[in-house]
Amino acid sequence: MGYVAVKGGTDAIHNSHELVEFYRLKDAVTPIDIKQIRSQLRLAVDKVMGEGGLYAPDYAAIALKQAEGEVFEAAFIIRAFRTTLQRRFYSETINTRELFIKRKISASFREIPGGQILGPTRDYTQRILDTGKVDETAEDIQKFLEIFESKIDREKLQTVKTYTKVIDLLREEGLLKPIDKNEDRRLVDITREAIKFPAPRSARLQMMARAETGGLMAMGYSSMRGFGSVHPTVGELRYGHLPVRIKDPSGKIRYAGKIEITEAEMVSSVSAAKKNAIPKFTIGYGLCFGQNDTKVICMGILDSTMRSPDTGSPANDQEFVLYHTEGIEAMGFTNHLKLPHYVDFQSALSNIRSAMERNAEVKEGQKAEEVTFMQP
Amino acid sequence: MYMENQDYIVCECNLEALEAFVTSIEPDFDIKIVRAPSICMTMVQAEDAVEYQPFYLGEALTTECELIVNNQKGYGICLGDEPVRCYCMAFFDAISQLIDIDLSKVNEFLNEQFLLIQQANKIEYNHIQRTKVDFKLMEQD
Repeated sequence: MGYVAVKGGTDAIHNSHELVEFYRLKDAVTPIDIKQIRSQLRLAVDKVMGEGGLYAPDYAAIALKQAEGEVFEAAFIIRAFRTTLQRRFYSETINTRELFIKRKISASFREIPGGQILGPTRDYTQRILDTGKVDETAEDIQKFLEIFESKIDREKLQTVKTYTKVIDLLREEGLLKPIDKNEDRRLVDITREAIKFPAPRSARLQMMARAETGGLMAMGYSSMRGFGSVHPTVGELRYGHLPVRIKDPSGKIRYAGKIEITEAEMVSSVSAAKKNAIPKFTIGYGLCFGQNDTKVICMGILDSTMRSPDTGSPANDQEFVLYHTEGIEAMGFTNHLKLPHYVDFQSALSNIRSAMERNAEVKEGQKAEEVTFMQP
Repeated sequence: MYMENQDYIVCECNLEALEAFVTSIEPDFDIKIVRAPSICMTMVQAEDAVEYQPFYLGEALTTECELIVNNQKGYGICLGDEPVRCYCMAFFDAISQLIDIDLSKVNEFLNEQFLLIQQANKIEYNHIQRTKVDFKLMEQD
């Protein structure tokens, strides 16, 4: 299909942008501070960073403000912003075993190293609308913080610890399926190299790390519901922050700050391929910026499904999963449908009208023939 | 002060305290700015914790800076749009490599900040530990 460009409309487009600002500001209420967004819309900021592919909480908060809270649009703004910057460094490989644990749970084992820590979660809440939030004041916040702070004894503080992972215990017992030596383990960067299918696992993990949460969830859910082969258990899910180290131009490895991440190891059992062979567990892996349980769980499921290619099942088809969970591209393509397609449509219209005219002519001809035939 | 600890403290400490301290000792040094603090990106490398498959997690906004302090180069690299912190990091990097310089005031500041960071971490950790759960199975007491 060919495209015909349109021109003009500059004033209307400019006025439309102005109107967006008008609707954002017309009620003349107190402007939202970026710190408020970063602090009180923490999970939205995390989503924008994760899907925008750039860890920058303040900038993600600005994008959310600019996009009036539309997470897709904000992530799009962040993706566009990252293209304006030079990539000067590659970090040392982050080590999730160094995680400062804020949340750590397992659905597979009741007893895990260091115990199950719920951390900040709404998992066990009833999702009842809290209308008390309407009248929340700065004093209320202060009072809450004072009461919260008083709940620990500062004279008896435990020392910060890191914990062994559940999968390390499974590995020690020899319960995990060995690495497939035939799998493509090359490290590729999908922001520099167009993805080709079948894609190496590194490309699949990178694409999923910046994929759209809802898209990953739809695919992961389809597999669990039976349109795929994987229905795993959460081996371990962790959320917290960890150090990022970067080599400086003199060659020294430097601590450069910390990032928040969520990580999931999803356990599935696989039956043995050969008779009398022992079945093993396989692990699907999920990792993303910020706190986002749903994303890493589904990433873990899809990591497993894509390792068993099957074009008959959407969740097992790499191309289907990776292209359709790429939120920014999907959003861009969907929204391009709103742009002028006048010539395409006129051409379709013209074809249909011609067909209708031809049909009418044929019918007229047939009618005339029938009349002639009936007259002696 | 161990290098990583020094960077860790400069990255994690209170910015106002850091700026005030560096401003107070800056006049004692000859400082040239080679690369003023500017933002760039760092690609964060990760690996699957099970099979150690390396992959790229995404980029992180980073600030970098380069100074020459008393003829000694110093680099600052920190996450975020943090021009002041990055400048201070480069400054500390340079002065920690100078010979015959009394760093007792610097070490005192860094140690003080380190204790504050550690205490804040401990408090947060202890709040988090309050959410530790031990679900019982229905047939258990």
